[in-house]
This record gives sequence, C-alpha cells and structure tokens, in this order.
Amino acid sequence: MELAIETSHLTKVYDGKINALDGVDLTVKAAGIFALLGPNGSGKTTLMRILTTQFRPTTGTARVFGLDVVKHDASIRKIIGYVPQEMSVWLDITSFENLLIYSKIYGVPSGIRKKSISDALQSMGLDEVANVPVKKYSGGMIRRLEIACSLLIKPRLIFLDEPTLGLDPSARKAVWENLMSFKDEYGTTVFFNTHYMDEADMYSDEVAIISKGRIVKSGTACELKRSLHSEILTFSIDHGDIGSALRGPASAGLRWESSLLERIKALDFIDDASMHDSNLHVVVEDSEFALPAIIEVLRSEGITIQKIKGARPTMDDVFLRYAGMLPVKGGGKSRT
Amino acid sequence: MIELEMRRLKHDRTEIYTRAIQPILWLAVYGSVMSHVRDIPTNGIPYIDYITPGVLLQSTIFVSVFYGLTLVWERETGILKRLLVAPASRYATVIGRALASGVRAVVQALIIFPVAMLLGVKFISDPVYIIAAFLMLFMISGGFAGLSIFVASLMKTRERFMGIGQAMIMPLFFASNALYPIKLMPPLLQSIAIVNPLTYAVDAVRGLMISGDVTNITLDFSAVIIFDLIIFAVASISFKKIIE
Repeated sequence: MELAIETSHLTKVYDGKINALDGVDLTVKAAGIFALLGPNGSGKTTLMRILTTQFRPTTGTARVFGLDVVKHDASIRKIIGYVPQEMSVWLDITSFENLLIYSKIYGVPSGIRKKSISDALQSMGLDEVANVPVKKYSGGMIRRLEIACSLLIKPRLIFLDEPTLGLDPSARKAVWENLMSFKDEYGTTVFFNTHYMDEADMYSDEVAIISKGRIVKSGTACELKRSLHSEILTFSIDHGDIGSALRGPASAGLRWESSLLERIKALDFIDDASMHDSNLHVVVEDSEFALPAIIEVLRSEGITIQKIKGARPTMDDVFLRYAGMLPVKGGGKSRT
Repeated sequence: MIELEMRRLKHDRTEIYTRAIQPILWLAVYGSVMSHVRDIPTNGIPYIDYITPGVLLQSTIFVSVFYGLTLVWERETGILKRLLVAPASRYATVIGRALASGVRAVVQALIIFPVAMLLGVKFISDPVYIIAAFLMLFMISGGFAGLSIFVASLMKTRERFMGIGQAMIMPLFFASNALYPIKLMPPLLQSIAIVNPLTYAVDAVRGLMISGDVTNITLDFSAVIIFDLIIFAVASISFKKIIE
C-alpha cells in the first residue's frame, strides 16, 4: 500500500516556547480521503503547513509520497494542491482570470492551459459563471473556485484546511460532491482538517484526532466509534409491570428497582444502568453480546419489554472523548 | 503577475485616476507658485518643467512603496500561503510582483504625462528618449516595490506597514534632486541624496525628457540596476518570513 504521507516524531516549537506539535506520528494511505480532527489550537493547521512546505519542522521527519518536506520541498510543491482556510482568490477579477493567473503561477504549459482551466471549472461546477467577477459569488462558489485553482495541476495530493467552514449545508454538500467526483476520476489523495464531525464521518476513509500537538487516535470512522465501547440501549417497560412492583410500600418499590439495576450491572459488557420513569437505560460495551443477557434478566423479573432503542456513539462523542475534553472511560453522551 | 495587475486595472481604473490627482496638484499649484521664486538654479529650465520628472517619479514611487500593502492584505487572506505552496520559485514570485508594480507605475505615469503637457511642460520629442525615460520609471518603481515587499515581510500588519511607508516616502522625495538641485542641500542631506536611488532616476528622467543632457545616463542606469538587483535578492530571501 502506497503512503501519501508519513511523519515520524514531528515537532514544531514556535519562538522556543510554544510546542505546536509534540511528536506527531502519522501515516496516510494514497488515494484515500483523510480527515484530521482536533480542537482549536491543537496543531492541525501547523501540521498541514509543514506538510505543504510552508514551515520547516523543528525536529522529526515528514514525507509526502516519499519526498522529504525539508530536502525535497520544491518537488513536493509540484505534486500537491493546497487550499488555505482564508480566502485565496482575487475578488476583483473573474474566476476564469483567477484560474488563468494561477495556471501561470503553477507553470501549467500554455498548450494545455485552456483545457486545464475548463476541466477545473467543470469539476467544481463553475463553468457557467466563469466570466462573472468573483466578488458577485456566494461563499460556496468562492470555496469551489479556490478548490478549482488547486486542481489545475491535477495534484496527487490535495490539502484542504477547513474546506467548508462557514458554508450552509447545501453549499457544503456541493463542495464535497464535486470533490469526490474529481477524486474518483484522478485518484487524488485528499487530506483535510475540519470541525464538522459529520463530514469526517461521511466522506473520509480514515480519521485521526490530534490534541495538544499529538495524534491521540486514528482509524476509520467506524473503528473510532466502536472504540468508545459504549452504546446506550433504552428499554421501554410496560407500565403495568412497574405498577405491580410498586403496589407495596414505596421502599419495596425502590428495593425492587435497585436490585434489578444491580443484576443488570453485574452482567458482562455492561458499563452502567439507570431507570427513569418507565425507561431503563443501559450503557453497554457491545450490544450484540449484552442484549440477550439483559432481556433474560428482564424476563426473569416478569417484565414485558415494549420497545428497545439503541443509540450508537457519533463522531461528536469520539471527538469529545479523544480530544481530551472528557475522561477516557465512562459516561459518553449518545444520541439516537 | 504582470498580467494579474493589468487585469485588475482593467476591471477597476478608479485608483489610477484618483492617484493622479495629487501629482497634478504638485505640478499645477506648487510648480507654478515656486516658478516665481528665481533662486532655484535650474540651468535655465522653467521650474515647472524642472520638477515634472520628480513629480512623475514621486507619483509612481508612491504606488510602489505602498505595493507591499497588497501583500499584507494577501497575507491576511490565503493568497500568499497559496503562492508559497506553488511550484514557482520564490525569486520568480517576488520579482514578478515587483515588476507588476512597475507596470502599474508606468500606467500611472502615462496618465500624468499628457496633463503635464497641457500645463505647458515642454518634453523632448525624441521617442527613443521618452521610451528610455519610461524604462527608467519602470525599473525604479520595480525596485521600490521590491523594497516595499521586503518591508512588508518584516512588518506584517497594515498599521506597522503604513507607519514605515509614510516614514520612507518623505525623505526619499525631499532628499533627492526631485524638487531642487542637490547643491542647495545641507551636507548631511546631500550625502543621503547621493545614496538615494531616486536621485539617479530623477537625473536620468530629467535628462531624457526635459533637458536632453544625458552625460550621466550610464551611471544613472547602473545605479538603479544595482539597486534593483540588491533589493530583489534581499526581498526574495525575506519573503518567506511574511507568513510566519
């Protein structure tokens, strides 16, 4: 498997004081989509700027398609595309002119310049507005133009720093759909930073979470979600059953409830259990194994189950857990 | 890069016109008032004619010295980052941009030129001389734009840059032979004027456009070429710092 990016013990210290990167070890497979998630100030942008040869690392090594970012920076710049977070096109000229200027800056040979520009415009769905000044564009169109500019050289690897920041959902979708079809056509590797967990979940093949300058977790979105080992199962219980248990004195009802919870908590693969009104919530590590055992306990107590609802962890939970905002074990929030 | 500037000018020409107002006022107001002062030795050239090359250069250099502001703006946007990640070498980027500013400056001078004619300034009619004068305008403006890029790469913010830019422009203009011969200056100012590249540019443009005296032309062009080369090298080296 070819690697698009490979870093080892990469550090970056600003002004001798601030450790923006603190030993990053990362591999990114070629021809995939890679999402780098992390809180503000975690080192995402610094890492991207080292990989795009804007900065030199303080220590450690980083390679892009086998080329060292310090020694072979000029060769790397020939095969990558980069879209910074901030606006990177001139607003006072048209998108065709922006692409024309960039094609000259990127050294696209004059013979294929026209074709490259029209390909880029088409890839990003801008061919109909090519001669309109960019200042009349919407935010989503400007972003698509910025991506189009970096597609001119048909890069092997494209870096996107927060590609859909501040865009409405339909504009975000348009950006991604265009990008995915370009990637499928040319086999480009996509590396992006984002705060939108749903994008990492939906579009990426691999995800890494960076926190305080270190990669704290990486894998596919599914693996990361599974790695939280927590799923919340909610059992809706028949009111009649609770009523009969509580018919006696109040203390007896409480005893019944706590003994039920104790029996469930004692099962394998169970992290926690609680009861609210007629809903029993159980935090499980693995629902496939835990579910039959819980049903068994409830049956033996003579309880009728009306409905079972499972809530798997989302990428938000993964992010909150690994980005150092929640303790690593226990109590993750989940949504249906 | 030159193409970029031309395309930007094509879309919005207002800047060129508004920037022409100040130099025209210099010529029309300052020039005509001062021409009544007979004490400035101009070798028999009418004073307004004498200062025309200086004013032309001042207006073009004003464009160049503040060219770095474009870069400061681009630094705040993502354009500079993108340029640094492009395959073009940093030397090409810096020199390209400096020359682009030179083009802007020449366009600027082309607007003032006919106005000066209307004010009665008599230019030498030899097209070779005029073209050489515009070449000088282009070279010196490119050099000062390079200087401006260098300052921008150190200053990084609009406010700091404006401060330095303002501080640079006045001594540049007054410690040169733009408005009066160097001989009239106190010794300190004279020595500044001798290392001021603007002095050589003014001398060349005055010789080529007004007086026809081109005895120093080789020295003038050499001085400006050396200035350009040094500035381009320094600016290219420091350019990378701008984004850090």
